[in-house]
Amino acid sequence: MNNSLQTVLPKLPLRFLKWFCSPELIEDVEGDLSELFAMREEESKVKARFWFYLDVLLLFRPGIIKQVEFNKGLNQYNMLSNYLKIAFRNALRYKGYTFLNLFGLIVGIASSILVLMWVDDERSINKFHANGDEIYQAFRNMKQSNGMVSTTTSTPKPLGDLVREEYSEVDQVVWLSQSMELKIQLGDQLVDESGSFASPEALDMFTFDLILGDKGTALTELNSILVSESVALKYFGDNWRNEAIGKVLRIEDAMDAIVSGVFKDLGAKSTMDFNWLMNAQAYFGVNPWVNDWGNGSFQTFLRISDESKVQTVSDKILMEIKDHTVGNPNAGDEEVIIYKYEDTYLYSNFDNGVVSGGRIDFVRIMTIVAIFILIVACINFMNLTTARSSRRSKEIGLRKVMGAPKKSIRTQFYFEAFLLTAVAVTISVFVVIMAMPYFNDLVGKQLSVDFSDQRTWYFLIGLIFSVGLVSGSYPAVLLPAISIVQSIKGTMKQPSYAAYFRKGLVIFQFTVSTLLIIGTTVVYKQIDYVLNKDLGLNKDNLLAVGIDQGILGRLDTYKSELMRLPDVKAVSAASGNPLDYGRSTSSTNWEGKNPADGYEVNVMLTDEDLISTMGMEMLQGRDFSLQLEDSTNFIINEVAAEMMGFDDPLGKKLSFWGIDGRIIGVVKNFHMRNLYEPIAPLIITCIDPQRSNVVLVRIGDNMSETISAIEKVTASLSPESEFEYQFIDEAYEESYRNEKTVSKLANIFALISILISSLGLLGLASYSAEQRSREIGVRKVHGASVLQILMLLSKDYSKLIFIAFIVAIPFGFMVTQNWLDNFEFRTSLDPMVFIIAGVMALLIGVLTVTAKSYQAATVNPVKSLKQE
Amino acid sequence: MGKYSIGEFEEVILLTVAVLYENAYGISIKEDIEKRLGRKVSVGAMRTALSRLEKKGFLKSEFGEASAVRGGKRKRYFKVTPHGKKALEKVMEDRSKLWEAIPSMAFDFKFA
Repeated sequence: MNNSLQTVLPKLPLRFLKWFCSPELIEDVEGDLSELFAMREEESKVKARFWFYLDVLLLFRPGIIKQVEFNKGLNQYNMLSNYLKIAFRNALRYKGYTFLNLFGLIVGIASSILVLMWVDDERSINKFHANGDEIYQAFRNMKQSNGMVSTTTSTPKPLGDLVREEYSEVDQVVWLSQSMELKIQLGDQLVDESGSFASPEALDMFTFDLILGDKGTALTELNSILVSESVALKYFGDNWRNEAIGKVLRIEDAMDAIVSGVFKDLGAKSTMDFNWLMNAQAYFGVNPWVNDWGNGSFQTFLRISDESKVQTVSDKILMEIKDHTVGNPNAGDEEVIIYKYEDTYLYSNFDNGVVSGGRIDFVRIMTIVAIFILIVACINFMNLTTARSSRRSKEIGLRKVMGAPKKSIRTQFYFEAFLLTAVAVTISVFVVIMAMPYFNDLVGKQLSVDFSDQRTWYFLIGLIFSVGLVSGSYPAVLLPAISIVQSIKGTMKQPSYAAYFRKGLVIFQFTVSTLLIIGTTVVYKQIDYVLNKDLGLNKDNLLAVGIDQGILGRLDTYKSELMRLPDVKAVSAASGNPLDYGRSTSSTNWEGKNPADGYEVNVMLTDEDLISTMGMEMLQGRDFSLQLEDSTNFIINEVAAEMMGFDDPLGKKLSFWGIDGRIIGVVKNFHMRNLYEPIAPLIITCIDPQRSNVVLVRIGDNMSETISAIEKVTASLSPESEFEYQFIDEAYEESYRNEKTVSKLANIFALISILISSLGLLGLASYSAEQRSREIGVRKVHGASVLQILMLLSKDYSKLIFIAFIVAIPFGFMVTQNWLDNFEFRTSLDPMVFIIAGVMALLIGVLTVTAKSYQAATVNPVKSLKQE
Repeated sequence: MGKYSIGEFEEVILLTVAVLYENAYGISIKEDIEKRLGRKVSVGAMRTALSRLEKKGFLKSEFGEASAVRGGKRKRYFKVTPHGKKALEKVMEDRSKLWEAIPSMAFDFKFA
């Protein structure tokens, strides 16, 4: 061979070859390749290199790639595969226990996943705004002389102007009106759509997805209007992408607006809900009253990008309204506070001007419950594994004799726990997917498992690890401690603490279950109380029909037309649904009022028929008799009478909104807000029925016919308007939807918890019955009756459930009392609730144990004693 | 089949090793096949076939001298083992049995 042909092989493929090639072959293969390379190089260097690369790649195949080293020589891999094999054999050998274990875990994990998804969804609401952590909303605390503070989001418009001009810390200020309905007309198509007036900067501050239009300019013109995708589809048809922009919409038959953009429907993740947006200045222009510091109108949002300035802003803004309303007749004692907008969904309840929770309470409760359910399921695994450890004692002993350290036995039991958990989690995911439609129905959300989201995987893997760790930890600590000699001899005794610990865990499980039953019962009772409480009026068969200008102009005709319908009992116009009412003024004055005191009093505008239509009860004085005569006579409620401090309110002078009049009657309190809140003071006036928004109609039982008859009457008087109505009782129930959802969830959880606990108990009971089969045989030979043996076997576990009941009572009392305290009006905590819960848990538990024990007690003693 | 199981490519390699006798190593085998049979052989395919044959015991190998053209790497020379010879004979035998069994008419395509 010619020495001058010393070749240099390309480095990269050579390194690759050396990395993967098996050490036995490398020398020869490398030699072959360099020989080939040298030969080819004589033809063409480029070709030689090319072939060298290709050859190396083609060598990358089984048979030449070296064996992966970590499974060679080390025992770990073999041990793990052994653990896997043993775990499967054990699982298949005791199918019943495996089933109990798995079933409990699956039920627990699946229900926890569902609830945690609900929690996650609740937490994600309003979190989609890109600048979410910089947006703050201003709230207005109105102090009243009776010490109460009412909090509202409607703030005076000049507040925004002031902040914009004078606050250097605030980057952006946005006004957003409350949702309002406007008639929007295109050609002969006229529909009421709800939407808001907003500052042009709103498109920048919040993240609304603009499909058409530019967020910088879309809202800058006074006559621009943005509509949602669904509204665009409604007005412009399928081709809205090309049709919508530049079209003119007629608003309330008063102004023309040009469509300047289309935004994606806001969807369930947003609490802001509007189908159109118009420039706030357009509203300010025709409503000069908003420029008064004393009038709340728009919501005000501030963007503060420097978080350290937030405190400064909130200190500065606190007294702005009060400082600017000195001497203003509409002024009250008011403060302005700011909260992060993202948090306002979960923390929406204000108590005396301070956030006191809200939906976050439910979110927290459900998170805790989900975790407890998981723990209850883990306990099943622990108990079943440790109780039956004598089955495995020979295996453990033998492993130790062969030199296994405690550590590897610990590893084995962790491994089994992780394995079982992984199987359970996998099946649970399927269960979750199957159950999703029903769950969505129940909670009124559109949840789905999103496997493309990394978080889902993190969550599932985290779940496997945490559940595996918790359920594997106790067996992994207890079992390696077994002494070799005893375990091989088969006379293994577990340390006495093991039995106690097991019993402790059973007590824990049943405490949780009993607590959940107590909780569910209390929630159920409270909701029942809320829905059936005497609200001070009769809400059944009562219809609220929305009315517009067309009907308001001919209100009397409309009322008398309705009264002529056979099944209509009474009709009255009013400025709102009396069960959900919040129109108030602070300009009230009455005889003997201290001029320095500010009070917020609700005002309801109606006609002379309200009291009788609603079935309200007059306590003193009289009802309105004729609207014209009584136009300056007022009826107040009990709370107002008490607040004004009248012993005999009748005939006392009262004025508000510049109207002077007298009190002619006191109506029994009725609820204008939900039962979390106290009843507010109220003045009812019939001065101007034209300012009503709804007509309340009391009908008979012939509902569907009557409703269509009412619709006909409405259409005949106001042909172009939509007929909208709701049942007052349904609307009332709907306002407690959240509570009802949580109640249903809690109900299901209580059932699941008791189911899982009973499964565990079933496993334990059958195991101890099995262990004591000889004892039972001997007892029966000596004449013990089935009943006596039943008592003997059931006694132990029944005791545990009873202890759990005792433990659960004080906790249950504390928790439920705490929850009920949120309500201004609440049911009493009845000891029966606790007794029922206890008896239920006891009954289910004892029945489980007894059923299993009965099986053991009726076995023919010959059978159990024969085998030696 | 059975203990003499051998594939077509393996058979070619094994025969070539026998043909080359004392000079059968990677490249020479490859070149011989390419020259004699006119088929392309990649280093990877040949190498796997060689190690498989060695594992089956049809071939044995030993290192020869190092040479500069091979970058100082030694050649691995292959030899057919008696077991390998039997395997080749078995294949031959099987084929001739089949050839003999073919009726003389079968390949007479004139009347086909």
